[in-house]
Amino acid sequence: MTELYDIPKEVKAALEAKGIPYEKVDITAKTDLDDGCVPCDNYIFVADGDIIILAGSMIGRLKRNGIFKQPKPVRHFTELSYTHYSLSDYEEFQVEELLSSARIVARRRADADSLPRTELIANLSNTYKNEAYKFVRKINALIKGENNESSGDNNEDKKDEKEELFCPKCGRRYADPERKICMRCMDKVHIIKRFSIFFARYKFQIGAIIFTMILTSALGILAPYISSGFYYDEVLDQNGRFYGKILLVIGIILATRIISILVSIVNGVISSRVAAKVTYDLKKEIFGAIERLSIGYFTNRQTGGLMTQVNNDANNIYWFFCDIVPYSIVNVFQIIGIIVIMLIMEPVLTLISLVTVPIAFFLIRKVFAILEKYHAKRYSQSRSLNSLLSDILTGIRVVKAFSKESEEAARFDVRNKSLAAANMKASVFNTTVFPFISMLIYISNMLVLGVGGWMVIDGKMSYGILLTFISYMNMVYNPIMFFVDIVYMLTDCLNSMNRLMDVMDAVPDVVESKNPTPLGEVRGEVEFDNVVFGYEKNRTVIDGISFKINPGEVIGIVGHTGAGKSTLANLLIRLYDVGSGSIKIDGVDVRDISFDDLRKNVAIVSQETYLFMGTIMDNIKYARPDATDEEVITASKIAGAHDFIIKLPDAYNTRIGFGYKDLSGGERQRISIARAILRNPRILIMDEATAAMDTQTERRIQAALDNLVKGRTTIMIAHRLSTLRNADYIIVIENGKMPEFGTHAELLAKKGIFYKLYKLQLEALRNIGIEE
Amino acid sequence: MSEEKKVTELGDVVSITYLTRDNCTFTKNGDFLSLTVTLPKEIGPDGEETGGTKTYDRVYFHRAFPYDHPYAFISVLDRESVEIGIIRDLSDIGPDAAELVKSELDRKYYAPVIDRIVSVKERFGYTYWHVISGGHELTFTVRDVYRSITKVTQTRIFISDEDGNRYEIPDTEALDRKSYRKIELYL
Repeated sequence: MTELYDIPKEVKAALEAKGIPYEKVDITAKTDLDDGCVPCDNYIFVADGDIIILAGSMIGRLKRNGIFKQPKPVRHFTELSYTHYSLSDYEEFQVEELLSSARIVARRRADADSLPRTELIANLSNTYKNEAYKFVRKINALIKGENNESSGDNNEDKKDEKEELFCPKCGRRYADPERKICMRCMDKVHIIKRFSIFFARYKFQIGAIIFTMILTSALGILAPYISSGFYYDEVLDQNGRFYGKILLVIGIILATRIISILVSIVNGVISSRVAAKVTYDLKKEIFGAIERLSIGYFTNRQTGGLMTQVNNDANNIYWFFCDIVPYSIVNVFQIIGIIVIMLIMEPVLTLISLVTVPIAFFLIRKVFAILEKYHAKRYSQSRSLNSLLSDILTGIRVVKAFSKESEEAARFDVRNKSLAAANMKASVFNTTVFPFISMLIYISNMLVLGVGGWMVIDGKMSYGILLTFISYMNMVYNPIMFFVDIVYMLTDCLNSMNRLMDVMDAVPDVVESKNPTPLGEVRGEVEFDNVVFGYEKNRTVIDGISFKINPGEVIGIVGHTGAGKSTLANLLIRLYDVGSGSIKIDGVDVRDISFDDLRKNVAIVSQETYLFMGTIMDNIKYARPDATDEEVITASKIAGAHDFIIKLPDAYNTRIGFGYKDLSGGERQRISIARAILRNPRILIMDEATAAMDTQTERRIQAALDNLVKGRTTIMIAHRLSTLRNADYIIVIENGKMPEFGTHAELLAKKGIFYKLYKLQLEALRNIGIEE
Repeated sequence: MSEEKKVTELGDVVSITYLTRDNCTFTKNGDFLSLTVTLPKEIGPDGEETGGTKTYDRVYFHRAFPYDHPYAFISVLDRESVEIGIIRDLSDIGPDAAELVKSELDRKYYAPVIDRIVSVKERFGYTYWHVISGGHELTFTVRDVYRSITKVTQTRIFISDEDGNRYEIPDTEALDRKSYRKIELYL
């Protein structure tokens, strides 16, 4: 039985009540929308050649049987409808993706006299899409009478079926099924523990930081005592033990101050060192984790923000461990210390002075919450202004070409205004609210001053003690403010940690073999054997392609845009792994070849040319840093890059990249061809390599490349069929399949897709007056 | 010199097939629609003949301007996703056919409409939404909330969740105060 969905026992009972024993069921699945798109629970069963849909609603709630017992779900299934289809009436099931939902439909076996009919089987939201695709695949296999056990991707299915998609604690689906972590139920302590490893290395330094901080704050607590209470009562008072010894006491005060400054300098030095090291370690680790990931990870996420985010997150984590944690410890000590001293000095007065603390605490919390909102608003406004600005500036050519300057200025003005408004709101709030809070502190000051003054007059307390007391009281507020503030910083830090965990936990789709087969001297035989692949699960881009290239042969791949040509190249260099089937180089599966061997022997020049910041020389040498200058020039000559490089004022030392020399598309392409040539690989892939060049340049490079490809296995992906004239074989790709294969002449004789493309291009050339 | 070349109108360069009640008939076939269309015969530059009467057992509909004109400029596609023609306005194809096409469109572009927001909780960069839509409680998870909210107009928004489902708030101003407060920050 294939259980795509674990059927609850209440539903099983309902099914058995219909006279269908659950053991007879072959496939189970679930969808979540009824015919009118109202949320409901449809349980689908395939049993005995029938499809049964039991629709209804499963209502569950948590019931607690005792205060300390874990709550248990109590469920009840209300049946709404029961539908029954005969599998033999249908020839194919399909998932149709709509916008925010999908549906399973089935095509009825056609009668001779009527149109083929399609029927709706079930509606579902995108949440159940993946399961629906699996269900459809299973049921189609069943219709075709394929033996389930022997189908190629059975292993993968087995793995998927048992996949736990729901958090066992709260019952929600995992946000990311690849990572079985429920953000809702995740333990904060667990995250913090994971990152504390980075800091464990520096535990002595961090210990020293905390120690010096405590020392500083202890001295800080001592200072008011010496300079106010002690000074009045013991030094200035005739009855004091240190009466008249002003210089000595001033000396002590100065000494404590100096010690405290020295200690904080030591603290500063240690923490800056640790800071630099820890952030370095963190970024190294994260960057390593990112690089390790396969290309698929980056295409699923916005890469642009990824790096800045990593930077910010690393800093945030540093703040957490080197700032928040030590300061929290110190502040706790400080609060306790001060309150204890105050209690010892004057218990009654302490209670009076602390009356306003809880009020202040809650008030400050509230204020910060509102402030946070204002900040967030301001942040998102400034983000939107910045993105607009960079958008306009990058597209300034277009703006000018369509003379849209004033419109763009107006657009900018709108966002600028709303940012200004947000700024103003936040500032006004700031300036109105904080005086009130200081007022609160002031009130408690007045209270203490009043009650304390009374006590002094009554002789219950000395004036010195009152003064000391007031200075202590004001010292309590800073740590309290800190704890209020920390709540928000804490969420920020935890978010950062979680994001980094996301990067660090992501499992690369393409994994290097642990025991790679050494390739040795590569002959250059490439074989695609029944390759099936899709960028997304269940969406096939390459559908069963097989061909073989003998060493030294040149093979051309043609096809419409989006037919899957570049995907074949991506699979060969293992940017992605095949879904099923295999790709072999010299008879060795590419998955068994080490990355090093693979990339040494296969080079790709693609449509997408990326040049790094640096000189042209650096960029060409990127492929092989140990290449000699002569080799670089030779490679550039072959690629047709030498001529234009030599005309640049700084020739090979010209700096390119952001803010430097801007090269044209064709020039960049030629540099990247030179890069690939310098690699001197046995297998060369040219993915529309000459597409951005004018015909003349292309011809010239083509002639040079013709020399180069001799003895090298070459895969040429091209739009222009003339580029492929020298190819030994040509493969035509259409919709992920390979309908035509043969030599140029053979394909022309076939009068198929290739012939059509060829004729069209010939026609186009003739129209502009060029005869082939 | 006397022969002044006339500037070609854009419409002369490419012709668009508009479907009207005069050239097409939509019929219910199974649970979906089939289409019979009659177009003037033409011979293309590569000698291929197009036009004539053709019947498609199943057609698909796609809005050209889903936000601006939900029931106008509807592209009609065949099984291979090749455009058969465009319905300029649903009223062009007659009331009965319009009704059929409208229900297909409504189904395709169906997105739950959020009536009330019970809670939006942020945790570790994900937001957990609990909302009321058409009397039903829905819960969903949104990653990167700022990027997942699409503002169609100043007040109409779409929220995309982690699974790719979309939820619509047709007018944020029309939400009750409490609900609005919960999403105010993300707008």
